[in-house]
Amino acid sequence: MNFVYLHLFLNHFPIIGTLVGLGLLLVSLFGKNDDLRRASLIIFPAMALVAILVFFSGNGAEGAIKKLPGVSEAMIERHQGAAMLALLFMEITGAFSLVALWKSHETSNTTRWNWSLSAVLLFSIVTSGLMARVGTTGGDIRHPEIGTGQEEVTETSMLSKMVQRFEPSPDKFAGLMTASKWWWAFMMDMHFVGLALLIGTVGILDLRMLGFAKQIPIDPLHRLVPWAMAGFGVNLVTGILAFTGMSNYYTYDWAFWLKMLAIMLLGLNVAAFYLTGAFDSVEGLGPGEDAPPFAKFIAATSLVLWFAVITLGRYIQSYSDTISVHK
Amino acid sequence: MSLAPPLFLQTIEDTAFSTWLRESESPFAFYFILLFHTFGLALLVGANVVVDLRLLGVARGIPLAPLQRLFRIMWIGFSINAVTGVLLVIAYPTKSLTNLDFYIKLAVIGLAIWVMQRLKTEVFADASLSEADMMARGATLAKWSLFLWFGAITAGRLLAYTYKYLTYPS
Repeated sequence: MNFVYLHLFLNHFPIIGTLVGLGLLLVSLFGKNDDLRRASLIIFPAMALVAILVFFSGNGAEGAIKKLPGVSEAMIERHQGAAMLALLFMEITGAFSLVALWKSHETSNTTRWNWSLSAVLLFSIVTSGLMARVGTTGGDIRHPEIGTGQEEVTETSMLSKMVQRFEPSPDKFAGLMTASKWWWAFMMDMHFVGLALLIGTVGILDLRMLGFAKQIPIDPLHRLVPWAMAGFGVNLVTGILAFTGMSNYYTYDWAFWLKMLAIMLLGLNVAAFYLTGAFDSVEGLGPGEDAPPFAKFIAATSLVLWFAVITLGRYIQSYSDTISVHK
Repeated sequence: MSLAPPLFLQTIEDTAFSTWLRESESPFAFYFILLFHTFGLALLVGANVVVDLRLLGVARGIPLAPLQRLFRIMWIGFSINAVTGVLLVIAYPTKSLTNLDFYIKLAVIGLAIWVMQRLKTEVFADASLSEADMMARGATLAKWSLFLWFGAITAGRLLAYTYKYLTYPS
């Protein structure tokens, strides 16, 4: 597996995607365009998901190039610290976007401004700036035409000096995650609690669409989705923290990457559910009414993929060190 | 506890089956069982959490009576975990049976299953109850259920961090 290519291919998406999302959001404010606003609220969570992959692939890319001549470890460290801060803001932006989407669905009124939209606006502006810094600090690592190959990391502008104060030191942060086995045990515990909450709430909705307990109307069941997202949020946070704590353990593990692939496919599946009319076709289903085949297909895909995620997660430990890195 | 662990633990561990479960490179050995223990957890706790949340007032639009069907999913999950749980103990008898946390986990699961059965018999089995009555009767049980399943998962996770012996000390 070539992590450098993977990282270089993926890294453009969240940087440009966040800017596109912010652009659409701003245009939608002035033009009062609901479709554009909705598009931006979908782009941010999508980018938040992809940004996780970019972040994870960065560790493998680091492993592949850090021994090369002319590559400064200090530059990599700076890029990684910038990436951690940007990832934090990216995930918060994605989470607020989902809240805003949910609110607009609840009130079936997308034009009304509310606090969640303000939060999306604020956090996406900050994220765009931080992403720009991640991009430039990453480019500095190995672009001889812009860098001078200097070993020292010096922040030139006031702004980057200020931002850098908030960026964690990657090594120190990783050390904090693994310093106490009880902290690690707590994170793993919460990862399982999140799993139960997520699978329970998503599972019942999927099963109902497939025909189980048909007396339950779909619309009230759908109100469990924020609880599913809460479970997913707990697992996203504990998962990212665990990765930063033991990044080499996860990076060279096939089961881990297949798990990430399954989670990305689940993101596409959710998008397909809400954007292709499948949700509209089931939302009004009352007691005893059957879901159309396409909605059933999406529900079955969701169940299969979530159990694949559990399976692959379980096999991470036994598949550690299964990815060989070609030098 | 300076006493050596009882010898029968070593006897179990030395059987061909226990050794295979523990040491086989086959993907169907230890991790496969652990995987199904996780599937069982997802079914049992996941389904119970949905019932608990509804009884506590989340998504009130969901009619309560059809949720009774979730109890079957809980029992399927429990059955999977009873079987895989025994297999996991056979794989590492000394690790589990010399750990106080293991007994705490069993006790908490016992209580959680008891609460789950009470939910079924006291809240769902009585067809004459209105939804408001069901919620009134079930609210306290639902809170206990959430608390106990959280405890069961925690005690289970802690087994990986609290054992004294991994295998019988030689």
